[in-house]
Amino acid sequence: MIRYLIKNNFKLMFRNKWSIVVMLLGPVLVIAVLSSAFSELMKSYESVEEFNVGYRVESESMVSGYIESIREAGKEAGITFYEYKEGNPEELMAKHDLAGFVKFTKEEYVLYQSADDEVEGMTLEYFLDRVMSENVNVSLQMMNATRQNDVELPVQELEFMPAINAVDYYGIIYIVYFSWCGIICATGVFSNEKKYGIERKFRVSNVSEMKLYLGKFIPINMTVVGGMGISTIITVLLHGVHWGKPLLSAMIIFGMILAGNAFGMMLYQLSKNLAITIIVQFTIVWILGFLGGSFETYMFSSTPDFLKHLSPIYHGNRALVELSCMGQSEYVGSAIVYSLVITAICSAIAILAGEMRKRGRA
Amino acid sequence: MEEIILKTTDLTKKYNNKAVVDNLNLEIRRGEIFGLLGPNGAGKSTTMNMICSIVTPTAGSIELLGKNPRKQKKEVIHKIGYIPQELAIHGNLKAWENVELFTSLYGIKGEELKSTVNESLEYVGLLERRQEFAKNFSGGMKRRLNIACAIGHHPELLIFDEPTVGIDPQSRNFILDKIKESNQKGATVIYTSHYMEEVEAICTRIAIMDNGKIIACGTSEELKKLVNNEKEDITLEEVFLTLTGKKLRDYAE
Repeated sequence: MIRYLIKNNFKLMFRNKWSIVVMLLGPVLVIAVLSSAFSELMKSYESVEEFNVGYRVESESMVSGYIESIREAGKEAGITFYEYKEGNPEELMAKHDLAGFVKFTKEEYVLYQSADDEVEGMTLEYFLDRVMSENVNVSLQMMNATRQNDVELPVQELEFMPAINAVDYYGIIYIVYFSWCGIICATGVFSNEKKYGIERKFRVSNVSEMKLYLGKFIPINMTVVGGMGISTIITVLLHGVHWGKPLLSAMIIFGMILAGNAFGMMLYQLSKNLAITIIVQFTIVWILGFLGGSFETYMFSSTPDFLKHLSPIYHGNRALVELSCMGQSEYVGSAIVYSLVITAICSAIAILAGEMRKRGRA
Repeated sequence: MEEIILKTTDLTKKYNNKAVVDNLNLEIRRGEIFGLLGPNGAGKSTTMNMICSIVTPTAGSIELLGKNPRKQKKEVIHKIGYIPQELAIHGNLKAWENVELFTSLYGIKGEELKSTVNESLEYVGLLERRQEFAKNFSGGMKRRLNIACAIGHHPELLIFDEPTVGIDPQSRNFILDKIKESNQKGATVIYTSHYMEEVEAICTRIAIMDNGKIIACGTSEELKKLVNNEKEDITLEEVFLTLTGKKLRDYAE
């Protein structure tokens, strides 16, 4: 019987054309508009041409013991550091064609940027932010513990923004974002069931809550997977979005689609109100997207780490962006596990809620 | 003695401590067309919903084909065909798709399902309109489709909850004929309505319900004798009004 539920729910979804159009055209349009509008801002993430930076370490500076490690990390990020023990930073920048200058004082650093090298300046700023906020702190703790002055900075663990352009960045994160909003496809099913009082008919039958759930969950997911697949192909063809490791990327997106739809179906099963479901789901997805980098050009910058890591969208975005620009990511596992856990929990709650509602009435 | 197909014992449903169905005792025999009459808010639909396991009784018991429909739902639910008062069909599905969906819920599939869908649509006179969307149907056609969706699994007990509300006389006659036809083929029918002439025309026994209780039960003739032995041409409506009063009922069930 589940075959007929799936088949007819498919028909109900596809006959509600506007939601399908939103799912198909939404990502394509948003990606086109945002990648174009922010292409200038996103230059800071584009493959950085190597550039030179001057620096000075003042006495008792917190980085004095491991400036070499920072230089080494800079080299990996395309930044060559030259030490200037004396001289006015601005004059040195002009004289030696430096893109920036960093003065490491006792407890902070001062960054000089050139108006002519804005992109390099932003890259340097981000690089220093990452180095100083994370790894140096770790190293300082190690220094205090061991009382050594020559602790080596773990260069391989330095996190700097991977090189990515605006088209790839927005082309990826908005496929992720819309994958979480796939429940919109189900409006045709939910609104029909509500409008025509179909649930009562289901109650006067032997169909189980599990079958009713899967009868919707399967076609909704297939529709969203199809929609996102088409959107992805369109954006690849039209804008040249580059995805790294297609199979792995597809798995991550698939996981996100399952999680988004399971979450939406749980909300509907709990509220039995389509408007509430859409409003709550879109609000929560917006918050998760906000934390996860969907609305900022600087995906990993302004949100505290613990908040970012709470957002499954962050894990998906980060994994896919890194796969695109580096070919690997430590976030692949967490993105997939996060999605599967959300799918399992939300599905269980939705089925349980339906069963309890049925028992409450029947 | 005829088999009792449905028996309710002290069946009660309360909402906010107010009894909508109050200690209802009913016995319906196999092969009957049993009419349940009552003003708005009398408790007819709630009773039907409890029989169909859509609503949980507050107290009392239901015995359907010798089984408890709450505890043995799987064993008896497919023997019921429920035609709810509000239309329960998908407007965005075609007529045949609606019948296919609801018939498949009872485990019918494949070729059997295909032929059942056609039989059901033919039965309600919609076979030629099978490819049309239900939302484009007239009120009468929707009512007929609503019936087609509930009969495909050949239930032993058909429950019609006001199936002729808001439709033209032709559709009404058609539906009443089909109810009689189903009954002649062996189905037991419970029929609720506000229309006295309908109930009088097709029902073998009639119960009048008010304030959640059965206040009278019997054949049409027996009911007429209950209220007036002098007047010969008394109508069922006069019986109904005498028993339930003329005061307006503005309840919602």
